[in-house]
Amino acid sequence: MFSGRLMNFQTQQAWTRLGAHQGTNVALSHRWVMMPAGRIFSTFLFALGIAALSLAGPARAADSDGTDAAAMKQIRSEIRQMREERKRDREVIRSLEIKVQQLETKDSKVQAGTQHLQNTDQRLKETTLELQQTNVQVKTLQTKVDAPIAPAQFSDVFDRYLGSHTFTVTGAAGGQFIYDQQSGALDNLHHASQNSFFFDWEPMILYRPTDWILFQGVFSAGFGSTGTGTDLSTADFQIFLNDYMTVEAGLFDQPFGDWYETQSPMWVNRFVTAPLPFGVEPVVPPAELGIQLRGGMQFGQLGQDFDYTVWGGNGPNFSSNVLGAALGGPNTVASSQTNGKSIGARFRIYPLPVDSELGRLELGASTFNGKWANGNWFNSWGVDFNYFVGNLQTRGEWVESYRQMPNGLNTDHRQGWYLQVGYFLNGLNVPGFPDKLNSYIHRLEPLVRYSGVNQRGISTDDIAGATGIGLGGTQVGLVPDFGLSGSPSLFAPHAREVALALDYWIAPSIVWQNEFDIELPRAGGLFVSPGGIETPAGSVPNDHAFLSQFTIGF
Amino acid sequence: MKKLFVAIVLAALAIGAIGSMGAPASAEENPQAAEHKRLFREGAKLWPLYCNTCHNARPGSEKAPYEWDQIMMHMRTIGNLPPQDAKAILEYLKAR
Repeated sequence: MFSGRLMNFQTQQAWTRLGAHQGTNVALSHRWVMMPAGRIFSTFLFALGIAALSLAGPARAADSDGTDAAAMKQIRSEIRQMREERKRDREVIRSLEIKVQQLETKDSKVQAGTQHLQNTDQRLKETTLELQQTNVQVKTLQTKVDAPIAPAQFSDVFDRYLGSHTFTVTGAAGGQFIYDQQSGALDNLHHASQNSFFFDWEPMILYRPTDWILFQGVFSAGFGSTGTGTDLSTADFQIFLNDYMTVEAGLFDQPFGDWYETQSPMWVNRFVTAPLPFGVEPVVPPAELGIQLRGGMQFGQLGQDFDYTVWGGNGPNFSSNVLGAALGGPNTVASSQTNGKSIGARFRIYPLPVDSELGRLELGASTFNGKWANGNWFNSWGVDFNYFVGNLQTRGEWVESYRQMPNGLNTDHRQGWYLQVGYFLNGLNVPGFPDKLNSYIHRLEPLVRYSGVNQRGISTDDIAGATGIGLGGTQVGLVPDFGLSGSPSLFAPHAREVALALDYWIAPSIVWQNEFDIELPRAGGLFVSPGGIETPAGSVPNDHAFLSQFTIGF
Repeated sequence: MKKLFVAIVLAALAIGAIGSMGAPASAEENPQAAEHKRLFREGAKLWPLYCNTCHNARPGSEKAPYEWDQIMMHMRTIGNLPPQDAKAILEYLKAR
């Protein structure tokens, strides 16, 4: 009974311990779970045996006390075995716990390492992306560095380097050889066949302080048969008030007709000489000191333009008061020949649209009026045209002036005109000619010009003052320097001239010009002495001249 | 038949709408560059006619852009050029 109770107690205690281990200690149950399956099975059988014994105990206790002791011993032995097994199990469990802890530690380390690796990988990806972007930027910069700088970019940089106040020098220079064959002699007048070299330099200075103010000035300097000569041809301010109004103030080419303003520069004029109405005996003054208002606008399609110029100045000036006296430069304030001013107006129209491909046609009309002496008027008017299409260019002007004479004398009436035609041969291929020869022909421009002047009389003083070809006389500077050849026939009251020219264009502004002039003055008119004595001119002999000029526009 | 007509009208309207949306987008892409191109093209047409009216047309490469600024101011005065034409020729000359 006792042993049974004891066995029961011990068995219960063992079970309780086992139950405590199994029921309350989750970690232990976990460890049980982790025990090997064989060991669990043996333990289970042992416990089943104990349970069976406990059930059979009371019955057997009644059988014999001797077997109790042996049973107790066996039970104790089994209990010891169980304890040892439990001890071993605990050691195994502890060992397993340690291993689990180690594994958990390793796992956390692995996880930390994995996280670290992931972070590193992310950083590498970011760094790779940055490197790729940097590489692209470097390549872009390299491309920019390797590529040649665009002209527009360079010009911007250069403009900044130069600053906003800049000068530009343009103009022209030319060397001439002129042979003037004067076939006849006029009594008491300067005449002689001449041939000589000349050189002329006409720099133009442009100064632009702002985008609405411009200064331009032209000096003329020549070296000729009469020595050197210098002259201030033009100098004026151009002030752009708005898109359609520009003020030009100062000394300027007379904006009458086309010739003085646009055709007088050496490299622009297709001929070496000026046409007669703008040469040695001009019909209207070549320049003026005053102020202009001018502008242009489009009235239709592209190229259909209209423009205007109105101006006022110091008025015309003459070499003397006699009939036929030559027009000179503009009056200075100190001039004793005028008390009046002048007014002028010019209008032009370009009727052809650019897209019509019919060329460029210019039609113009001008008037200039002023008082040249106390109460005496000078009136003039003119029309002009210019037509340019393809290789053909033609232009012409008609000019007429009336000079009221003092002391009731008849009006000094003058007329002048010119018509010129030129044709570029750059489209001409002569069959059978070598290409080289044809390339020379392509640079040629043959021209012809017919011009004439009618006036009642010529001042013999003017002829005497014209010291010859080139610079000299009253025509220095303001009249184009090579507008005269010195031939008396040019001073005929009814001068006529046929000019033949052959220009060889080396570049658009570099030309070698050759001109042959045939003077064909008509009879009639008067020569007038400084004292006013008039002599019939009669017939004036024909003259010829050859002029060759090499000029560069820069 | 009526459905076909409606479908054609709708298709035409859609094409027109797409076209009208596309044109301003390209023009507004870079208005400054488009204006430069327009001036250049116009200048290329005007340059040979306007310049040759008085003298041989000189190529833009002969002068620096800052020089053309000054020369074209002078030419605008002497030739009484309309301002937009002078601007176009200047654009052409400076672009060389």
